[in-house]
Amino acid sequence: MCIIFYTLIMRKLILLSVILSLFSGTLVAQEETEPTELPKIKVNNYTWKTDRVNSAQADHSQFDVLKQEFTSAHDVTEACIYCHTKRDEEIMATSHWNWERTEMLAGKGEVPVGKKNILNNFCIGVAGSEATCTRCHIGYGWKDKSFDFNEPRNIDCLVCHDNSGTYEKGKGMAGYPDPSVNLSYVAQNVGQPQRENCGVCHFWGGGGNNVKHGDMEIALLEPSKKLDVHMAIEGEDMSCVDCHVTEKHQMAGKLYALSSENKNRATCEQCHTEAPHKSKLINDHNMRVACQTCHIPTYAKANSTKMVWDWSTAGVLDDDGKPMHESDADGNHNYLSIKGTFVWDNNVTPEYLWFNGVANHQLITDIIDTIPVQMNSLDGSYNDKGKNQKSINPSKIWPVKVHRGKQIYDTEYKTLIQPKLWSPNAGDSAYWVDFDWNEASAAGMNYLGLPYSGNYDFVETEMYWPLNHMVAPKEEALSCKDCHTRDNGRLASLNDFYLPGRDKNKYLDIFGIAMVVMAAFGVAVHGAIRVFVSKKNNV
Amino acid sequence: MKKVYVYKIFERFWHWMQALLIFILLVTGFEIHSTYNLLGFELAIKIHDATAWAFLVLIVFAIFWHFTTGEWRQYIPTTKLLKEQVSYYLTGIFKGAPHPTKKLVYNKFNPLQRMIYLGLKALVIPVQVISGFLYLYFNYPIQGFELGSMYWVAIIHTLGAFVLFAFVIAHVYLTTTAHKPLSAIKAMVTGWEEMDDEEIHEHIVSDIEVALQKTKSQLQSSEGRSDILDSALVEAQKSVGGNAILKDTRFRDAIASTGVGYFCISKEGYYREANDAWINLYKYSSADEIIGQHYKLSRTEEDFAELEVTVNKVLQGKTINHGEVKRICKDGTFGYHTVTIAPVVVKGDVVAFEGFIIDTTDRRIAEKELLKKKLRVEEKLKSKE
Repeated sequence: MCIIFYTLIMRKLILLSVILSLFSGTLVAQEETEPTELPKIKVNNYTWKTDRVNSAQADHSQFDVLKQEFTSAHDVTEACIYCHTKRDEEIMATSHWNWERTEMLAGKGEVPVGKKNILNNFCIGVAGSEATCTRCHIGYGWKDKSFDFNEPRNIDCLVCHDNSGTYEKGKGMAGYPDPSVNLSYVAQNVGQPQRENCGVCHFWGGGGNNVKHGDMEIALLEPSKKLDVHMAIEGEDMSCVDCHVTEKHQMAGKLYALSSENKNRATCEQCHTEAPHKSKLINDHNMRVACQTCHIPTYAKANSTKMVWDWSTAGVLDDDGKPMHESDADGNHNYLSIKGTFVWDNNVTPEYLWFNGVANHQLITDIIDTIPVQMNSLDGSYNDKGKNQKSINPSKIWPVKVHRGKQIYDTEYKTLIQPKLWSPNAGDSAYWVDFDWNEASAAGMNYLGLPYSGNYDFVETEMYWPLNHMVAPKEEALSCKDCHTRDNGRLASLNDFYLPGRDKNKYLDIFGIAMVVMAAFGVAVHGAIRVFVSKKNNV
Repeated sequence: MKKVYVYKIFERFWHWMQALLIFILLVTGFEIHSTYNLLGFELAIKIHDATAWAFLVLIVFAIFWHFTTGEWRQYIPTTKLLKEQVSYYLTGIFKGAPHPTKKLVYNKFNPLQRMIYLGLKALVIPVQVISGFLYLYFNYPIQGFELGSMYWVAIIHTLGAFVLFAFVIAHVYLTTTAHKPLSAIKAMVTGWEEMDDEEIHEHIVSDIEVALQKTKSQLQSSEGRSDILDSALVEAQKSVGGNAILKDTRFRDAIASTGVGYFCISKEGYYREANDAWINLYKYSSADEIIGQHYKLSRTEEDFAELEVTVNKVLQGKTINHGEVKRICKDGTFGYHTVTIAPVVVKGDVVAFEGFIIDTTDRRIAEKELLKKKLRVEEKLKSKE
């Protein structure tokens, strides 16, 4: 009998333990994937700061060709090319040089885009005002249409390769260096571009620090980890070109304010891979959510960026007939007679849009058919899954700075206007000098060979700047509930799909809750009657 | 009140595991639905996903169990007594009326339970599993296949959750409608369900019916029958007392179809009844040849003397499993069988005795079966008062 019971109990125990182990197995397996000590995060194609070996750069001060008193910047370029043969050809194939590239725009075909052609809702455009705008061109002498893009001597090597920190282009000098610059000294102290070289233009676009991007500004010269985990001096101390890798002077990475095709991009994935997180759940998000969305929770974290630019209020002069400057409490201009009214903001929460890497642009020849005018539009939607679409990749949710503006357009031809803004002289139709929109418009459009009716007004515009920089420390990355929340989540306005935790069917919830409440109510009533009846019977 | 073993170990494990998993899924699921914040969204999802997998494993085991044990038949819907069951819950229960349906071995659910449980197993849970795994794995572009939108998947999954929630409420409440408020839950924990005498009787009869059917199918190839039947009968009678079982016509019908011999002999010792199997074993051609004859006819003298002692005990009201005896068939040959003898009581007096005989030719099989089945029968019928 004992044996019989023993075997019986053993049989039950074995059955129980087998089944239990199966269940515990699934739970334990989850935990095992988490190592106790975190290694450095996994990256590809990247050398950690601690592993970096300073590759010796040639000491240019030893080269005879540079040991001369340069009186002309062109001569410096010639000296560079003397050794760095053919590099001029590489440069002349880049958009840094041409400010133009031909790209496919949806519905418009192959179109020359780039800084030379595309309008924005900041300073509007380059045409007619080149001599001041080309302070940021990697060349010498682009003051008007006569500039020779095929002349190697016009290349400005120094603006990117100066490692002395003393090089500076002159104001309104069409890209020539300021006369105070010691060209020989600079030429003997050249090297890899540092963040200062890139920043001098890319931080200052739009006429001031952080005006345009919102995520690129002088604070990146010496950022804390909190500001930018990659470029932090205390951290990895990465320079711009660590991500924007360069081959034959072609920099990886592009700006959708000016370009449209999904190519030659600098991505997070090139180092971090497409599955950098320990959690598969989070990695899966990368299929439809850009890294930037969670890892750039706010932008303009140090200095403010311009959010609104209203040109329509420009032109109010003070009592002496002089242009005015007014600043807000943070010291940012909120009114300039030459430019109009601005709104600045810092620690801005991005807006979120679907984006598949393809952009479109409102060309100066395009008829205005939407208000606000979409200066550049980011293509994408939830249903754009990347197959048979314009892009091979599915659209992802992307954090974007949206810059809103009001700028001049032709009320008769329904096109945007490129006014002439800058001139060294009065009476040259430049708005910033003469404050006459009609004259400036006529001059600007005439310069481009485009019609102007003589009737203008101001129209609302929007421009989209996908955010990429100032990646926050991982502790500050967005968490689930920032988006997966019922009300006022980050994605509250991105409504073309079902987002768990945010969305529900109102009627289903009412029905479901009613069903549960009725069940509870029903059993409560039923139970109460039973108790009541049984008590009565017992009495 | 006595207790009867109703819920087997796996069944109980499966039930409580399912209850636990559904509870976890509901708590985490409604957190994912943003109904409240409790564990944190990511943790809620991780637990929800792990629980879903555990549930899937449990379902695979449960399906296996249901089909290997034949328990799936419990869920075949029926309209028999459906109205009665509904009206019991609506009115009868308040008046203290008896449950319209009894718990039988192969019919342990009332018609409402059959319907609701089938709905859960065949519709709600599969829908939840399928929509849940679609939710889990086809929410992003997957090579080759992707759902256009998660909307309907989410809606259906949420609807299923509400249905399960409402079910849990009603289900938990209805456990209180057994003999005592907690006896149904106790039964699901221990396996032993409290029943009144009538219910126990019904339950045991149904069990023996099933046992007979099984034995028949297991020993189909052999003419012999194991003494499982004997021991089942003896134990069954012990547990309910008296000969209520043997009087049950359903039971007699079941016996008749198994090849087990049945006889009834008056207290004076004359055959009153014998079934076809009995007649075959004794090699008679019809019952007429034997009715009215004294049972001495088919015994050797020594055997008769021994048997008489047993019969006398039976006539005092005892049921006796006599063990193996030798029979003299019509043609004078001998045969062996086991015999169980029980008194037939009318108005408190023993008027006759009856019993079963089982041929013991395939003794080895019978012994093996005995060992196996006895265990189960002991377990099942052991009174736990």
